[in-house]
Amino acid sequence: MDKLQLFFQTAPLDAAHAGQSLWLIIALPLLGAFISGVFGKVIGRANVHLVAIGAVAGSFLLSLLIFWTINDIRTTADTPFGPVSYAVGADFGTWFQAGTFRVNFGLFADHLSGTMLLVITGVGLLIHIYASEYMSHDAGYWRFFAYLNLFVAAMLTLVLADSLPLLFVGWEGVGLCSYLLIGFWYDDPQKAFAGRKAFITNRIGDFGFLLASFVVVLTVESLASLPAENLGRVAASYGPGVVEKGPLAFPVLEASATALSYNLEKTIVDGPLEGLTYGMALTIALLLFLLGAAGKSAQIPLYVWLPDAMAGPTPVSALIHAATMVTSGIYLFCRVSYLVVLSPTAMIVIALIGGTTALVAALIAFTQKGMKKILAYSTVSQLGLMFLGIGVGAFWAAFLHVMTHAFFKACLFLGAGSVMHGNAEEEDVTKLGGLRREMPVTWATFLVSTFAITGIVPLSGFFSKDAILHAAHVNEIAGYHGLQHVAWLLGMATAAATAFYMLRCYLLAFEGERSKDAKIPHAHESAPAMTGPLVVLSVLAVVALVHGLPIMSVRRGGVEVTQTLMENFLDPVFRTTNQLIASRGLVKLPVGHESMVGPWVQAWLIAIVSGGLAFFIYRRFLPRGGSLKAIEPLRRFSYAKFYVDEVYDFLIIKPLGFVSRLLHRVVDALLIDSVAVHGTAWLTARTGAVLRYFQTGDAQMYAAVMTLAAAGGLVWALFNFKVL
Amino acid sequence: MNSIYDSRILNLVIFFPLLVAALVALLPRDEKGQIRAMTFAGMLISMVTTFLAWVGFDAKSTTEFQLTYRAEWLADIGASYHVGVDGLGLTLIVLTGILGPLVVLSSWSFVQERVKEFHIALLVLQTATYGAFAAIDVLLFFIFFEAVLVPMYLLVGVWGSEERQKAAVKFFLYTMVGSVLMLLALFALYFLAAPAGSRSFDYSTLYNGLMAANRELAVYLAANPTGDGVGLSPVAAALFRYGPWLFLAFALAFAIKVPMFPLHTWLPDAHVQAPVAGSMMLAGVMLKLGTYGFWRFAVPLFPVQAREYQTLFATLSVIGIVYGALMCLAQRDIKKLIAYSSVSHLGYCMLGIFAFTTEGATGSAYQMLNHGVSTGALFLLFGFLYERRHARLMSEYGGLAKVVPVYTTFFLVVTFSSIAVPGTNGFVGEFLVLLGTIKSNLPLGFGVLAATGVILGAAYMLWMVQKVFFGQLTHQENLSLKDLSGRELGAAIPFVVLILVMGLRPQPILDVINPASERFVARAKYAQGKGADDLEKVRVQVKALPPKNAVADARPSMAPPVAVPSRVDFQRPTRPTIMQPAPKPVAQ
Repeated sequence: MDKLQLFFQTAPLDAAHAGQSLWLIIALPLLGAFISGVFGKVIGRANVHLVAIGAVAGSFLLSLLIFWTINDIRTTADTPFGPVSYAVGADFGTWFQAGTFRVNFGLFADHLSGTMLLVITGVGLLIHIYASEYMSHDAGYWRFFAYLNLFVAAMLTLVLADSLPLLFVGWEGVGLCSYLLIGFWYDDPQKAFAGRKAFITNRIGDFGFLLASFVVVLTVESLASLPAENLGRVAASYGPGVVEKGPLAFPVLEASATALSYNLEKTIVDGPLEGLTYGMALTIALLLFLLGAAGKSAQIPLYVWLPDAMAGPTPVSALIHAATMVTSGIYLFCRVSYLVVLSPTAMIVIALIGGTTALVAALIAFTQKGMKKILAYSTVSQLGLMFLGIGVGAFWAAFLHVMTHAFFKACLFLGAGSVMHGNAEEEDVTKLGGLRREMPVTWATFLVSTFAITGIVPLSGFFSKDAILHAAHVNEIAGYHGLQHVAWLLGMATAAATAFYMLRCYLLAFEGERSKDAKIPHAHESAPAMTGPLVVLSVLAVVALVHGLPIMSVRRGGVEVTQTLMENFLDPVFRTTNQLIASRGLVKLPVGHESMVGPWVQAWLIAIVSGGLAFFIYRRFLPRGGSLKAIEPLRRFSYAKFYVDEVYDFLIIKPLGFVSRLLHRVVDALLIDSVAVHGTAWLTARTGAVLRYFQTGDAQMYAAVMTLAAAGGLVWALFNFKVL
Repeated sequence: MNSIYDSRILNLVIFFPLLVAALVALLPRDEKGQIRAMTFAGMLISMVTTFLAWVGFDAKSTTEFQLTYRAEWLADIGASYHVGVDGLGLTLIVLTGILGPLVVLSSWSFVQERVKEFHIALLVLQTATYGAFAAIDVLLFFIFFEAVLVPMYLLVGVWGSEERQKAAVKFFLYTMVGSVLMLLALFALYFLAAPAGSRSFDYSTLYNGLMAANRELAVYLAANPTGDGVGLSPVAAALFRYGPWLFLAFALAFAIKVPMFPLHTWLPDAHVQAPVAGSMMLAGVMLKLGTYGFWRFAVPLFPVQAREYQTLFATLSVIGIVYGALMCLAQRDIKKLIAYSSVSHLGYCMLGIFAFTTEGATGSAYQMLNHGVSTGALFLLFGFLYERRHARLMSEYGGLAKVVPVYTTFFLVVTFSSIAVPGTNGFVGEFLVLLGTIKSNLPLGFGVLAATGVILGAAYMLWMVQKVFFGQLTHQENLSLKDLSGRELGAAIPFVVLILVMGLRPQPILDVINPASERFVARAKYAQGKGADDLEKVRVQVKALPPKNAVADARPSMAPPVAVPSRVDFQRPTRPTIMQPAPKPVAQ
């Protein structure tokens, strides 16, 4: 056993080579995208599959290699602030530089991005395989796989980037691919519109991201100009580090967090942020990042695009809108967790936004009929839970939920795709029913994943979700205890709601009799290329539970502490974060875990009771869906998604269109062009027309005018100068 | 490299197209193919000459204007034929050079009437544009600046669409108004900057001659902001009284050219009516003459006034960004939409300039190039569509992605570049401009409002893309549209390559621009009070006029082989060569 452990903890590559090769992981899918996109029609369907799947598989293997490498304690990445253990990285030179600002092409993989690498390429690979069957009848296969590969490349850029601008390349890149894939069937205007809506909503978030980056630049440059004794531990290397890596590189941000922790209450004396304290500047930056993350990770107020994004092909929903892209907001906050823990205000806002989103989305999911719609709202809701975890400082728990969620939600989405595939594209759960017997593999995997998301012991979702809720209960954000309690209650309510609506979805679709409204009398089970990934994912949804078990013990400050596997694994990533928590105490984490049995039982009871209720209602009273008479208005309100889209349309989109048309007609066409410009021209022309009458060419007339004028001048001179 | 070619390369760049134009003029009028081929070849060679200039330019050198050539010309009034480039001028010249052959390709089959005149106009336009970006003598600049108008007027007025005459006249008069005022202000400067006898139109004379007065004025205004100018030296007093008017005269001329809100209404008309070549050159390089003018003349020559009006111009820029984007949302005509998007993009350029930070200035310069590439490409691609269908309204299209997939792909890539998706060229410029604005002394609100352009840009461009390319095919005529031909691909591919290369490897270009933007910022902040000025950066150093009857500049050395002066020796003269009085015709 020890030998096995040693084997896995011995790097197959040395750190320098591994770091230098990180770009290959991105380049492979990029190349695949290029080949499929440009030559896809020529080389045919099978070759496109080969190229696209092969590219992702290659990336997956490389990711495994990197992951293996960063499990070795001797593997270190060099930064200007000293080596970072359990990480590899490389700097490929300047991307752009002007004035004092610089961004480098730097790639970096530690345990956080390493795990993301495996999730992206692993789940991505399964979904590529699935899609090769799912899209087998679509003429646009080459376009599809080109976009899908491009997406994987962009997502890998996002997690491998070692600076915010480079992360932003991936960030917008995945948004771009999402736009292309949602609108994949573009001849349906509604689908094209859904893609556009996703992109523009994301752009609102990106606006926040950009501004946040700028505030960070201002803060870092202001810090760099402080006298060295104010910077504490990082004083010696801070200035040169900023110059070398640029103010937005993550190592610099990590050092900045340490430097900031000594200066939070200090006022910025110079520059555009003059008058604010460093703490306030940080809070502003984090709240702007939250806007950015809310766009990408579908949180209030920008979550509206994600449910519409289900217009895209189902593998896309599974890969982009469940497993990977939408978790980038959580990834971002985990990446800059050292900044997050310095701002209790930002933390509580994140927690509340997350909690509220989780509950609102869950309430909408109660009444939706489309299977993918239900899953979409469930995704929004689960993402909200992850934000709740971030907000209360349980980064590892939020990230664990990212991982487990990737498995079971991808499985659920692919299961929904399989259901649609076998039922003539029917996705209304009230028009399905009885699929258990007709699609056994889909049924089994769907059931496992449903239990996982519901939080039934001992599936992975239980541990990750419970870790978040437990942290929301026991961690303490300084100064916001009451609000934090609210956030926790929101989370608990969400857990109960999740069990209910997921069971409803499962029961209506898979149990009971086949609906009379079904499009075809009998469903058929999907091909192995589709069921295979389902099985793998459902197995993963189970075995991922080990990460949530408190089985590691470490010494922390002389005390033996039990940690879960994931917490322990991510410890190197959050080292600075934990130091800052300890030194500043803005968040209080309980020392070590007391027995988890109590909270586990509590969470388990909630899931069982709520799920049982759904079982009771939908098996006993409403086997075909619908609702109870008494709560019909509520159902309709929830079914209409609380009219949020309509409100946005009324408050923002319509007025914007109106204002632009008004400005165009009144200001541009009338005031500027007609009055000012053509008015001037008209005036000139009229003046000319009048003056023309004086230009007669009649010499006698000219002489007469001249004489008169001269006489007039003489008279004036006589009266004014009083010569006489 | 230290050869006679180095000092004459710009002459070759500037006048080669004119030479080709003369050759084209000799061709028979009906040989359309020959005319096109010769123009295309000429443009290609002209592009290569700009690349040679790029190679000859040393970005690390401390010399501001390189590849200079100076010869006597109108010595009586102190003008000279003086050309040379700094980083900004050079990159814009290369952009112009690259656009040249693509413009010819774009109208290969579009223009069928007066083919010869059309191509001559294109070539002359090219010469005038090169000249304007290379001129160091301000009078020379003015001549080239105005010379651009003539071929452009013809391009719009002769080969445009239905209402071409009206649009051309509007365009011409509009820009003339500003130019005339600028010429007056230029004359005033001529007399202010130097005492009688040493007057010159050279940039160095004008700039260096005003430095002392500008410093005096800045110090005076800092001490008594509401003073009435009593006690200032004559030149400073003149600047105190008339400086704002002079600055505004320059600014007006350039602001019309940019165009800044609210002087922009000529642009949509001109773009809509112009043929595809006209639109490309107009958006690609002509608008940059405005921003270039602010960068080179309006701001450095009047630093005190520029700072005084900084908020006004920054406000107009931000209005331009947001207002231009809102206008786009109200358009139904595709060309108008692209034209208004230019107003929005040029707003970024202006904001970057008026941020007076290196990041902003570099971003602005980069954004000028980006706009040339992406908007040039948009007009090019739309031109192909217009050639097929002769319709400009979005409602005439719809669902084109099914019929012309390759075309759609190109259009999408260019769209993403236009809305500054990272990885394309647009992002680098926009990011730097916004960062520079946030870092500047302007209130934070400017940067925040300008950043909303990021959202609005995506909104209008994707709206247009959806209307044109997605959804069902609604018009019979669109069913038989042909996808891009080989020639059209040849014109479109370079744009896509540029978009990606400039997005992923911007640094070689930024390295060339950065010294220029540092100088610009140093000049804009000249005598602002905080810290001493870096006179090395601020002062304009140029080569003196060669002595009479000598070959201008950099003779190939006749000295023994060992003593060949190195390049550095050439560019760092041992004695400070500031300005040299023009040869005096008469004694005082």
